[in-house]
Amino acid sequence: MRVKVKPLECTGCALCELACGYHWDEAFSMISSSVMLYRGEEKKGYMGVMVKTPEDLFIGRPEGATAMKLGELQKEGASGGASAKPILIREACDLCESAGLEPQCVAICPQEALYLE
Amino acid sequence: MDFMYYGDILIVDLEAGTTEEVEIDEAWRAGPVLPAALELFRRHAQDNPLLLGSGILTGTTAPASCLGFVLGASQITGGPAVAPLDMFAGAEMKLSGFSMVLIKGNSPDPVYLWLHDGVADLVDASPITGKDTWRTCDAIREEMGEQLIQVVSIGPAGEAKSDLASFSINYWGSGDNAALGALMGAKNLKAVALRGLGMIDAEDPEEFYNRTMDLLRGSPSKKGFDWVSRGPEDEGIDAWLKPLAHRHRSCFACPCACNTFVKYNEDPAVMGSDGVQEPGLMVTNPAAALWLRQGGWGAEGACRAMEAMTRAGIDAVRGAREMSTGPLEDPTEIAAAVEALTGSAGAAWPRGEGAGSGIFGPRTPPQGSEDRWLEVNRAAYVLGICPLFLVTSGVELSELLELCLPAAGVEVDAGGIKEMFDRARA
Repeated sequence: MRVKVKPLECTGCALCELACGYHWDEAFSMISSSVMLYRGEEKKGYMGVMVKTPEDLFIGRPEGATAMKLGELQKEGASGGASAKPILIREACDLCESAGLEPQCVAICPQEALYLE
Repeated sequence: MDFMYYGDILIVDLEAGTTEEVEIDEAWRAGPVLPAALELFRRHAQDNPLLLGSGILTGTTAPASCLGFVLGASQITGGPAVAPLDMFAGAEMKLSGFSMVLIKGNSPDPVYLWLHDGVADLVDASPITGKDTWRTCDAIREEMGEQLIQVVSIGPAGEAKSDLASFSINYWGSGDNAALGALMGAKNLKAVALRGLGMIDAEDPEEFYNRTMDLLRGSPSKKGFDWVSRGPEDEGIDAWLKPLAHRHRSCFACPCACNTFVKYNEDPAVMGSDGVQEPGLMVTNPAAALWLRQGGWGAEGACRAMEAMTRAGIDAVRGAREMSTGPLEDPTEIAAAVEALTGSAGAAWPRGEGAGSGIFGPRTPPQGSEDRWLEVNRAAYVLGICPLFLVTSGVELSELLELCLPAAGVEVDAGGIKEMFDRARA
């Protein structure tokens, strides 16, 4: 079971990042989130969502969704996003099991762009 | 403030090139909200201040908590005016490490203010002087090495102190229809760049979070502009834009994606990022498109005109009124027509269209009476919730006001908001 993304449904509100950040920090911030909106190419209207799991990075691009092994990404020197705290150095998604909750990013997404499978 | 705000108030003296941090007056128990800014504005009136801040709930999981504010004296109305700091800029303002910023005086040389992680820097803006808002945003992000910086900037219209000037947010048009962009130009302030990795604490985080989740579950999740239309004359704007529509975009934490990204330099169906570098525009305000459509413009020409106005730092809504009499299609002619507006004073707002809307500047109410719209705006800015969401979502204002207790440990109701504004006026 993992969190997956329907990238074309996403409207970029970042509520998933906030909910995940709350799960880790009990505060509102996007610095610790295991899910991250990719919004580094704003002028192109290009946007996607990434989810870091213990094994891989699930990348929901508008062109399609893929999972890449963390080792492969690190070998390529990829940062996983245009952020001051790249997703590869953040906590991996635990499906909110440590809080005894359903995955909060899925629960909060207004567009149902995130789902469990 | 222990909760909901992050950091002190920053006072920037452009003339002296100095900054200082001061604590918020404890009498403002709800924090450095818009009425507190209005009080500071009056106290520093001799320095012609420009203030940026956010609402109590801005930057949280409260639905549509995207709203911050820019406050300054409007050269159109002659009094204080407010413009929304929305998209991601309101939340980034709160996370920048400063709860509010007051920028006083005029700089002898062009500068931009860079706020990040509790640090404030005045940066030489001479290399970007004269550049449009797109190039300004590109240059600041490139210089600071961070693509997520939110850039509130002016273009040539602001530098020329045009009555049509409006600040842009990143590459897109803002709700500044009171010429606060011209105020930035008068201050020699090319931009305010915002980025922060702060955390916003709640007084009772679990209670607050659970209540916001309940509100989000009951909120609509709409896309496009039609759901915020003011009446029959506004209908069909989404269908008009549809041949160019690429994706809909939300502001921060908003379940409703009003903004429409349109492509006219590339097939709108192209989803990858390998193609055209500047494929189109994010349409952030349907009013500009409506004016142009009423003037007989086609959607592509209208979108090109809106892009040109946003690049020049012209309020696209008022600019569209100037241009609506002559529909154009040729990009070169459109660019020339917009350039001719850059130093223009623009036509006066007709009476009855919001010119008397006090601190909220000239603005047409999207629905209902002007008094009702002002009341909604006041609550929206204090809370940090988009006013369009407040009037169209079906979520009750009282439900959002009740969030202030678990959020900040303060009780706020509609009467309390009125008292805050009365106190700011006193």
